[in-house]
Formats: sequence, structure tokens, C-alpha cells
Amino acid sequence: MPKGSVSILVERCKGCGFCVEFCPTKVLELSSAFNSKGYHPPHVVNPEKCSGCDLCGMYCPDFAIFGYKLPATDKEAQNAR
Amino acid sequence: MHADPAGVLTGAHFLDGDQACTEGCLAAGARFAAGYPITPSTEIVERFAARIPTVGGVFIQMEDELASSIAILGAVWAGAKAFTVTSGPGFSLMMEHIGLAAMTETPCVFVNVQRGGPSTGLPTLPAQADMMQARWGSHGDYSVIAISPSSPQECFDLTIKAFNYSEQYRVPVLVMMDECVGHMTEKVIIPEAGQIEVTPRRHTKAPPGEYKPFLPCEDLVPEMAHAGEGHGFHITGLTHDERGYPAMNPQAHDKLVRRLRDKIALAQDRIVILDEDGLEDAEVVVVSYGITARVAERAIQMARRGGIRVGRLRLVTVWPFPEERIRALASRVKAFVVPELNLGQIVLEVDRSAAGQAKAISVPHAGGSVHRPEQILHAIEEAIR
Repeated sequence: MPKGSVSILVERCKGCGFCVEFCPTKVLELSSAFNSKGYHPPHVVNPEKCSGCDLCGMYCPDFAIFGYKLPATDKEAQNAR
Repeated sequence: MHADPAGVLTGAHFLDGDQACTEGCLAAGARFAAGYPITPSTEIVERFAARIPTVGGVFIQMEDELASSIAILGAVWAGAKAFTVTSGPGFSLMMEHIGLAAMTETPCVFVNVQRGGPSTGLPTLPAQADMMQARWGSHGDYSVIAISPSSPQECFDLTIKAFNYSEQYRVPVLVMMDECVGHMTEKVIIPEAGQIEVTPRRHTKAPPGEYKPFLPCEDLVPEMAHAGEGHGFHITGLTHDERGYPAMNPQAHDKLVRRLRDKIALAQDRIVILDEDGLEDAEVVVVSYGITARVAERAIQMARRGGIRVGRLRLVTVWPFPEERIRALASRVKAFVVPELNLGQIVLEVDRSAAGQAKAISVPHAGGSVHRPEQILHAIEEAIR
């Protein structure tokens, strides 16, 4: 199970690729799709690798991506105990 | 490592302290400066702006001191050695980024040619009233190094020292000049590049992927990588872990802030430079720094002629404070006399370090001129009474 996920606001993106470049676990790639300004926003290609660290969010110059941690499943919570 | 000959103007020169400081920056390898020129520091960047096209580098006149002080931090992370220059009002504005430089362990140099304050104060006249601000001006716990030259030659020599310290300990170093030293013209000898020791950037050998930007070495100082080399690291003013990621908890904060303090404390003996004379049998010790040390020297000579055993302790580095040296002297002298161009700042540190074993006598001066030697002599005479 992935520990985290990202939300992408495609209309804010200008396709700089910082999030793709700096993601420590290589979760993202620039997609071949366009937003309305003609940029290629990122999309998630390795969802299971996301740790929810939000480094993408800290780098994004345009507040177009946000990382967050997912709540632990019951089984994981038990293992942690 | 030796200085790059391109920046070294070898020879005997007749320079003022500001110009000598510029030559020190160039000899130390500084190739980027950003500033918002302010009297009495203007000549430093004026000369830098004139010299840098022949050496290869950048000077940017910024829109204000906030921009200047943050631009140099950016330049450092891009690989340059960088500095900015200011005086009191600008120094106040730069406090935010002195704190950021301390937190992100960015090696850089801030030159403050002190003038009378507070606020705009006395733009063209000297003071030494920013000494406590140099130590404590930015919020939070951190340590810095501050150096106080008292001649144009020292403005050259100690500016190189400042860059070397900043690279060695990854800390902002403050060159605390004053208007008198800045505008005093004297002979300045600039040696050959091969005779100038320059500390190189502590660049990591770890490959991208393994590099941790805040993993401390044995001396508690981490190694740097530069932007664009593929290390993909994150630098923030937020409390961070060894990876540079924000870590919002008391444990990470304690670890980081203690290390910022301890890395300087650990190297204190290698950082502190003192100019001492006649301390062996001294009854009274004059503790001074910057231009005031030269006035004090006259007073010391006068007192010795009058048969008083008086020693000189000149603080070449003011921060970190030579607490142990003062404490050791305090056990066998009657008093410390501390003249300074403020209403009593470093005297507080002397008094604290003496811990009641000897008196610390302040010889205050609000600034705008220097002391008369007789004022200091009078205090020495009072001290032995």
C-alpha cells in the first residue's frame, strides 16, 4: 500500500518539471496531455512508491501540486503496535 | 589551497579600509556581490563593481538590503563565494537572512561598516554600536563569527580570514568595520597569490542519491553540493533533518539548533584571534577592538610611562567571545578597562566572563568621533586606585 498521494491542479501548472525531477521515489512524469494553456502537467506513474513527503509541493513554484500522507490501514496500524 | 591570481592585486598600495576590504574579498575568491550601497561602506562595492569585470564575476546593485542579503545566499548555493556590504540601517534589514544563512549553513560574508545609530543616526561618522546586534540580531539560537579589523591592512587580511572561516564552518561571518577604519588610508601590502591561504568550498564527494545535505562530518559541519549538479536536495529555513526535509518536532529542533551552536563552540580555539601585549605582569588590562584599539594603544603607552602595569588585549575576533581567556586573566588582574564606541556592549561580556574576580570598567562613547586617549588613561588610573 502507498503511504501517500499527490493532488495535482493541472490548470496552475506550467510544466517546469521540478516535481518530476526532485521526487525522491520517482512517482511522477510529465503527461502527454495538455492543460488549457498548452502545458504538460505531471501525472502519477508509480502511485505505490509515494511516501507523501510533499517535497513536490515544497518545490512547485505555482502551488500546483500537493503531497499528503494517507491514513494507515487497520492492518498496518496493528503491525505498528 | 592558494588564492586565484586573477583576483590578487599583488604589491604595496595606499588604500582606505573599504578598498582594502574589496581586495580581500577578491583575493579570497569572492566572485559575486549584491548590495544596496550605503555610507560609509559604499567604496567597497564601488571598487568591486569596477574591478570585477576584469576578474570575471558579478556585482548586482539590488533594490534593497533584503534582496542583497538573500541574493548572496542564492549565489553561494549556485557555487560562488559571495558577500554583501552595508552599514547600520541595512544591517538591521539583513538580520532575517543572517538567520537564514545560519540555519541553512550557507557560507557567506556580511561586511558592516558601522556608523552612529540607532536608525539613520550619523551616516558619515563612526560607532561600534552594532556589536551585540551582530551576535544576537536575528531571532532564534545560532552562532556566528564576527571579526573587527583596526587598520586597512587588517581589512584586507581579515576579510580573507572571514571567507575562510565561513567556508570552514559553514556559517555567516560578519566583518564589523567602523567608519574610521573604512575611511582611513594607509599602506596595504597584498602578497602574491601563492602566499594567500584560501579555504575551498567543502563540496561533497557523495554521488547524487546518497548525498544528505545536512549530514554532519566529525567537526559537526556538513558538506555542500551545488544547485544543478544533479543532487536534487532541498534547503529550507524550517527546522530540517539530515536530508534537508522539514522536521517539525522538538527532537529534530534540539538536534539541529544545538549543532549550529556546538560546531562553533567546538572550534572556538581555532577561530579566536587575540592581539596581546604586556599581560604577564599587568594590573589592568585594556580590552578593545576596531578603531578604539588604536586610541587605547596611545592611552596604554601614556599609562606605562606613568609607571602603571597595563596590558593590551585586542579582540581581533569579537564573536565567539574569548570567555576563557578573560576568566583566566580575571583571576590575577585588578580590573579590565573596556573602551568602545557605544554605551557599553562588549563590557557586559567581559564582566560576565570575569565572573566577579575582577572589575570591568566601561569607557563609553556614543559615537560620532573616537575617544580621546586621556579618557581611557583616566579610566586606567581609576582602575588601579
